[in-house]
Amino acid sequence: MAHTKKSNSQLFFNGLLSENPIFRLALSMCPAVGISTSVMNGILLGVAVLFVQVFSSCTISAIKNYIHPRIRIPTYTLTIATWVTVIDLVLAAYVPAAYKEMGIFVKLIVAFAIITMRLEMFAAKNPLAPSFWDAVGMGLGFLFGMVTLGAIREILGSGTLLGFDLVGDKPLLFFVLPAAGFFTVGFMMAIYNYMDLVFKRMKEKKG
Amino acid sequence: MKQILRITIGLVISCLAAGTIMGSAYVFTAKAKKHNEHQKEQDTMLSLLGYGKGKQAPSSLKLQSLYRYVIDEKGVKYSGYMVPVKKGNDPGYALLVITLDGKFHASHELKINADQAMEAAERQKALAAVLKGTFVYSDETVVASMDGKRVAYLLPGHFQGFKTFIKVMLAVDPGYNILGLEIMEHEEDPGLGGDIVQDFFKNQFKNKSYQKLKTLDVVKDPLPEEYRKAMEIKKGVMSQEEVQRIRAKYQDNDIYALTGATISSKAVTDGVKGMVKRFAYRIEVLDRVAQSQKLAAAF
Repeated sequence: MAHTKKSNSQLFFNGLLSENPIFRLALSMCPAVGISTSVMNGILLGVAVLFVQVFSSCTISAIKNYIHPRIRIPTYTLTIATWVTVIDLVLAAYVPAAYKEMGIFVKLIVAFAIITMRLEMFAAKNPLAPSFWDAVGMGLGFLFGMVTLGAIREILGSGTLLGFDLVGDKPLLFFVLPAAGFFTVGFMMAIYNYMDLVFKRMKEKKG
Repeated sequence: MKQILRITIGLVISCLAAGTIMGSAYVFTAKAKKHNEHQKEQDTMLSLLGYGKGKQAPSSLKLQSLYRYVIDEKGVKYSGYMVPVKKGNDPGYALLVITLDGKFHASHELKINADQAMEAAERQKALAAVLKGTFVYSDETVVASMDGKRVAYLLPGHFQGFKTFIKVMLAVDPGYNILGLEIMEHEEDPGLGGDIVQDFFKNQFKNKSYQKLKTLDVVKDPLPEEYRKAMEIKKGVMSQEEVQRIRAKYQDNDIYALTGATISSKAVTDGVKGMVKRFAYRIEVLDRVAQSQKLAAAF
């Protein structure tokens, strides 16, 4: 088992920048494209993913030695489904105001690639503390990606931001439709790749 | 062989553990969740009747549910209405079976109390005890009454939208004029058909008379600015009188379609129209039959 050599803060920023789930790993594209039509949607789905990712990563990391390698994927799915159900039930019962907005998003998470992938790649191989920080970083990275996509699409598509009227008109109505999600993700990926290139050059010059 | 056993046992144990966690979470939260859902529906109903924050509903206001079932007895279909009735001081329920052309067929007394009647499973049980044929739940109507006089009907219902069903709650007065429309659930396109939840769309239905509703249609004209402002009371700075005046001016107009979402607008308009028309027919039949049978309905 190869334990990670990265420090906790490195793990944290790893998910946000160099391994951002949406813009670098290109995982969970379906919800990213389908739901990021407004900033609020992005925030709600992002927060939901953050919680499920943290709970699932911690669980898998804690019980990793007891999972037979042949059935690890079913076990991951089961873990995620369990936490999604629990969070869904608790929200519906005790925070009805938040559930009203988040309900449909929480149920979607069971099938998210990003969570399964983090369990397989990281939580199953590392102790509890790094797994926790990796999950937080990945969750926040997803949240950041969703908010960015949501902001771009909301401003361009509906002319608003968080529901407040900015432009007073709908500049490019096309941006609220799913197809425009791909364009936005593509542009953001290009920006991330370009930033990566710039950083590498800077490092080379220094070295 | 040993491998298979280990895998099987591992899977069984993890499934059991997951099941236990989910099950206990459900047990702990089920009551609160149901209470919330019920509360949400009640709040929507009261807000449609004009009560809510700052305006308490009077204690004489009673909301009573009327359930409709479609009954199939030997291939013949009947409408079955579960009606709340007065039995001395205890509210009870009776089942009134009516033929499809509006004639009385049978009536049964149901052994069910008001709390049990809210549960679909309890209703099924009570109906199965008195009915011979099969029956399917159809819909619910909430009758709002004040001091024994009906003030409004609340109609929860759904109809086909652009992609899938739109769930709504509709309030009509005893003359079937619309008091208000609330969209409960929908999956229309955000920013396009999704705007059916906006005040400037759904409030267009407010105060539409039954006479107008029968021929209500959608027009593809731009929504007049003053009308839009009058419908978004929260944001506007208009006086109550002005809002009333402008709304009255457009009261007999058709529904202004949402930009880029004619199908959703048309779906809601037709859906509402159909719901009210069907309801008006059914409640009149029910009232006539209940009267002829001297059934003391509790509303």
